[in-house]
Amino acid sequence: MKKTSAIITTALLLAGLLAGCGSKNNGSDAATESTLKDGKYDPPITITISKQQDENAGKYINGESLNNNVMTQWGEENLGIKIETTLLGGDWSQYNTKLRLGLTGTEQLPDVMPVYDTALLNDMIQSGRVKEITEDIKKYMPDRLKEIYKQFPTTFTPVVQDGKVYGMAISPNLTEGEVMLIRQDWLDKLNLKAPTNIDEFEKVIAAFTNDDPDGNGKKDTYGFDFSGKDGYNTGWVSDAVMIFSAYTGKHLPGKWLEEDGKLTYGSVADGNKEALAKLRDWYSKGYLNKELATKAAWDALADFTEGKAGIIIGRPWLYGSIKDVEKNVKGAKVNAYPTINAINGDKTYQSAQLNDGVFMFNKDFNNMEAFFLYYDKLYDVAFGTGDFKYGYAQGYDYDIVNDQVTFDSKKFNNPIDEVQGVGKMLFTKNTPSVDGTGKSFYDLANGSKADNGVLMRSDAADQTTKDGYVISYENRDVLLPDAFNGAPTKTMQTSWAQLQTTEIEMFTKIIYSNEPLEAYDDFVKKWYEKGGTQITDEVNDWYVNASKIDVMANMGLK
Amino acid sequence: MYHKSKGYKIFSFFNYIFLILIALTCLLPLLHLLAQSFSSKAAVNGDLVSFWPVDFNTESYAKTFNNSNFTGSMLISVIRTVLGTLISMFVITTAGYALSKDFRGRNALMWIFVFTMLFSGGLIPSYILVSSLGLKNTIWALVLPGAFGAYNMILLMNFFKTIPKALEEAAFIDGASFFGIFWRIYLPLSLPGLATVGLFIMVGHWNSWFDGILYMSDTTQYPLASFLQTIVVQGSAQNMALSPSEAAVMSEQSIKAAQIFISTLPIILVYPFLQRFFVKGIVLGAVKE
Repeated sequence: MKKTSAIITTALLLAGLLAGCGSKNNGSDAATESTLKDGKYDPPITITISKQQDENAGKYINGESLNNNVMTQWGEENLGIKIETTLLGGDWSQYNTKLRLGLTGTEQLPDVMPVYDTALLNDMIQSGRVKEITEDIKKYMPDRLKEIYKQFPTTFTPVVQDGKVYGMAISPNLTEGEVMLIRQDWLDKLNLKAPTNIDEFEKVIAAFTNDDPDGNGKKDTYGFDFSGKDGYNTGWVSDAVMIFSAYTGKHLPGKWLEEDGKLTYGSVADGNKEALAKLRDWYSKGYLNKELATKAAWDALADFTEGKAGIIIGRPWLYGSIKDVEKNVKGAKVNAYPTINAINGDKTYQSAQLNDGVFMFNKDFNNMEAFFLYYDKLYDVAFGTGDFKYGYAQGYDYDIVNDQVTFDSKKFNNPIDEVQGVGKMLFTKNTPSVDGTGKSFYDLANGSKADNGVLMRSDAADQTTKDGYVISYENRDVLLPDAFNGAPTKTMQTSWAQLQTTEIEMFTKIIYSNEPLEAYDDFVKKWYEKGGTQITDEVNDWYVNASKIDVMANMGLK
Repeated sequence: MYHKSKGYKIFSFFNYIFLILIALTCLLPLLHLLAQSFSSKAAVNGDLVSFWPVDFNTESYAKTFNNSNFTGSMLISVIRTVLGTLISMFVITTAGYALSKDFRGRNALMWIFVFTMLFSGGLIPSYILVSSLGLKNTIWALVLPGAFGAYNMILLMNFFKTIPKALEEAAFIDGASFFGIFWRIYLPLSLPGLATVGLFIMVGHWNSWFDGILYMSDTTQYPLASFLQTIVVQGSAQNMALSPSEAAVMSEQSIKAAQIFISTLPIILVYPFLQRFFVKGIVLGAVKE
């Protein structure tokens, strides 16, 4: 036994030694003081960032990579700021895991951390490793950015604690609204008009299902294609929210609505039952996609692209993703229309997004001024000014051929297969925009000349996409941001997931006729009993607290 | 004769059908993927492809091999698999050999190893360990933490135990050392076991993606499986405003199909050569002398 214990002791000692080797002192940055000379840092400084890597973010050309590409080079050359990714995550949940692991304190957190999850936001604040930035915003945020942030005060609510601000929204901007994409050739063939209310909508999808719009003599088409896998309000593509809103007005499934200072949950509001009854009826008649409950938002597009479905809903750019139907099916043509009106004649509502996550900063990060300098430059592309008048990088997302700016990557001087999503290479993850719901498209449609980068880019889009954005801009009053954007409340942490699952299951079962329509009343009752009442109270408490302290004034954003 | 009886014939008929069905469920998805990879983007997005390419083209493969991230990741995966398998095999064969003998403290050691099969430290402690050892962003973070697998070690240990002691004694008399016996007698005789366990480890290394994402902070250092994970997983939650040009390139299923197919190919190719060892390979001490 002596030998054994000796071996174990040696092993432990060795492990200890190895561990000792690893803990090198990372040393604090800024050993030499960098100064800003003519808009450039000398010597150059490095800002470390974390990044969530999504599907399109990994695409680089010319042998470039995450930490060495056209944008990092630009920053180094023009601003003396080197952006380096030190924490990289895969999809949404892996990225959150990595940030959480980062909070364990084994290594330095990056200087700038985009965070996309409200629960994680809260954990980061609680950990005490995030910088409080009220003063920094006041002091360093450039004026044109202040103007933007002023418009979206609610984006600060998730990051405010005790009147202190621990983060800021990433490129806040009211996103574009959804439009209805319809197979125009089908409408024409059956002598139909685009529907504007629920009755007309029903007539059209019935005809798309029964009257053989593709003329192949088979009953293999249907009317309305949408996704129900993750709830009935995806907020961006393959939505069915228009049908719900036709009956519930501003109460949207899965979202919180503020009315007279009170927050209520959309899925339990009056009218949902009627909406479900309609969908149930349509489903049984075959007007809807059969597998709607198993299709996630992006998968639900396939039927439309194949030429099987007649109507799909999504943001205007969705046309770019489904226009393949015009390749797959001879004679197919897709047009964009506004979503239908409610039964009382009002417009139907949609949920809107105000920001794409939140920036948080390392407590030890001392270069907020540099961060804002860089961030402000990135906005040049949104304003169509400065270095990024036309786009981020010539030969990547635009090119100048024979003095003509082109956004068609096949016509570049060095033609490439597709435009590079340069915005995906940045720490904003997407290209910042101030175009909101599509103002540039609206202006173009009303005769504005495409004389700056933003307008030129919009002008280069497909006609249907352009039509869609115009519709989106004209109807921008139907966009409702979620009234609750705080961290999950106490009861939410224990029972929200359960309630959500029950909700989606129940809605689906009713639409599939696996449960009687009356099951909805039962669901509402149970929803309140199983935590809904408490959650509503807590959410309202949160709302009162969130609007109590005027942090906007403290940040100089008033 | 039993195998000529009617009941047996009926049984084998259904048995064959059943086995063919199982084989098809494994084969068809792969065929579907192959067909998708050779089809045009439009056809794939429209769900028009089943088991035969539509609008045959090889563009996806050209694009995949022109993508330096893909080929770089592939190289890392190959290095990782070779290095990881060699290290693992070295560690578990030596441990298995030693533990197949009787010596003092053997049971205690064995207990320590088995303990790791039942309990693990969990994600956070492993992460802290790896990063404080300074392994992050190196290939060692991928090959060292999983180098010793108790399960594989026990498999090999049992294999070593089945080799007659007399062989070892004869070698001792001829003057061989412990290590000589291990190298010249035990390893060659356990080839089936080594091949089987080696394949387990290889497949494990080739397919594992989470550690790559966890310990690497640059996509160019991702092994292939991690790279594919980021490419194949689609944005499921809400997406912020995409520009029309960005939306048009979303979800290129045919390229994904090509990448997945290429990435499974090496392992599929290795299988037939190791398959013959399988039957003899996995014996968990069920047969006693």
